Amino acid sequence: MTSLSTPRCFWLVRFAARETAMDPSEVEFLAEKQLVKIIPNFSLDKIYLIGGDLGPFNPGLPVEVPVWLALNLKQRQKCRIIPPDWMDVEKLEEMRELERKEDAFTPVPSPHYMELTKLLLNHASDNIPKADEIRTLVKDIWDTRIAKLRLSADSFISQQEAHAQLDNLTLMEINTVREFLLDSLNCMYKLRSNLQPGSRKGQLTDY
Amino acid sequence: MDTQSYCPVPPGVGMEENFLSLDDILLSHERLPVRTECVFPRLGFLEKSSDTQDIPEATKMELPLWLSKGLYERKRKVLSVELPKVYREGWRTVFTADPNVVDLHKMGPYYYGLGSQMLHFDSPENPDIAQALLQTFIGRFRRTMDSSQNAYNEDTSALVERLDSLEKVLFRSGQNGLNSFQSWEKGQASQLTASSLVLNYRKRKLADVQT
Repeated sequence: MTSLSTPRCFWLVRFAARETAMDPSEVEFLAEKQLVKIIPNFSLDKIYLIGGDLGPFNPGLPVEVPVWLALNLKQRQKCRIIPPDWMDVEKLEEMRELERKEDAFTPVPSPHYMELTKLLLNHASDNIPKADEIRTLVKDIWDTRIAKLRLSADSFISQQEAHAQLDNLTLMEINTVREFLLDSLNCMYKLRSNLQPGSRKGQLTDY
Repeated sequence: MDTQSYCPVPPGVGMEENFLSLDDILLSHERLPVRTECVFPRLGFLEKSSDTQDIPEATKMELPLWLSKGLYERKRKVLSVELPKVYREGWRTVFTADPNVVDLHKMGPYYYGLGSQMLHFDSPENPDIAQALLQTFIGRFRRTMDSSQNAYNEDTSALVERLDSLEKVLFRSGQNGLNSFQSWEKGQASQLTASSLVLNYRKRKLADVQT
């Protein structure tokens, strides 16, 4: 492939860009690395894995393990999951109010709050008090934040800003608007480069 | 997981066309009002309104974009291209007043693409056209975004109807993001489903049996 004309090159680049768009289940996969406390009901020595050492496990003694292991043990009824501190109705209510009051994004308790809520509530709802209320609260927080995200995306576009700060945004939130926002910014960039007469030098020489 | 088996080549949007894009090929067939600046000998058959063998100088006719672009030259005047009416000052004012009320599909459907292509033809209004295109896009952005991010599981044809072909592509990518998130949230993403290829294969076999 020695002589790639420019449109073809462009196409290849675009194709690669498509591939990098993430699926929500991939984001969930990343979230499963977060640590959560469990109380095991079995005893096991330390186990050595490529990704790190786990254990030792003693019945009744809380240990911190990644979410993927916690869910696996839970499904085999070998442990009880202790929900993270923030997964609490009062704290979440406070957060919801703050999120609604503030214009900017407020700090979230966990970079994967949405995924963790879904995973833990779906698989271990018997270990979490007031699971339904928590589900509703987290969904409320999520909706508020997405509305804010859209608002800031609009002002980003309409003021033709060159950069934006993504403080306190989580991966899942960014991921839902990524494709749309990037495509729009690409279009806007091209329409904007129309404004500069310098960018079309040598355009008409071919004819 | 929503894997796409077909990724169409996106249009080039700016002044440069994308060689492999179907949208850009269709765009190059848009008609432009032109005025001939010299005699076109023996090409009278192109101009249906008169019976002469040649196309005389100063005839007003319509030519497709690809032909006008090829014939247009700054130094040797062969033809001059007039602006289609959606890019003229009158319409530009309408667009700047409120871009959301305009039906860009009817105006275009390649409003942005053709507008950028018009910049190839030297016209004093070029900077204004470029500015109007950008402002129209910015003005309509919010509506495209909101409708694409909110319409879940409903008929979107009414929302898409008035969008330019470029905005339709954006609308679809917005819908992609929304749909994949919703299916994850409902737990559908973790269910394994048969590939559409396999399903279609079975269908075809059934059709073979029937014939």
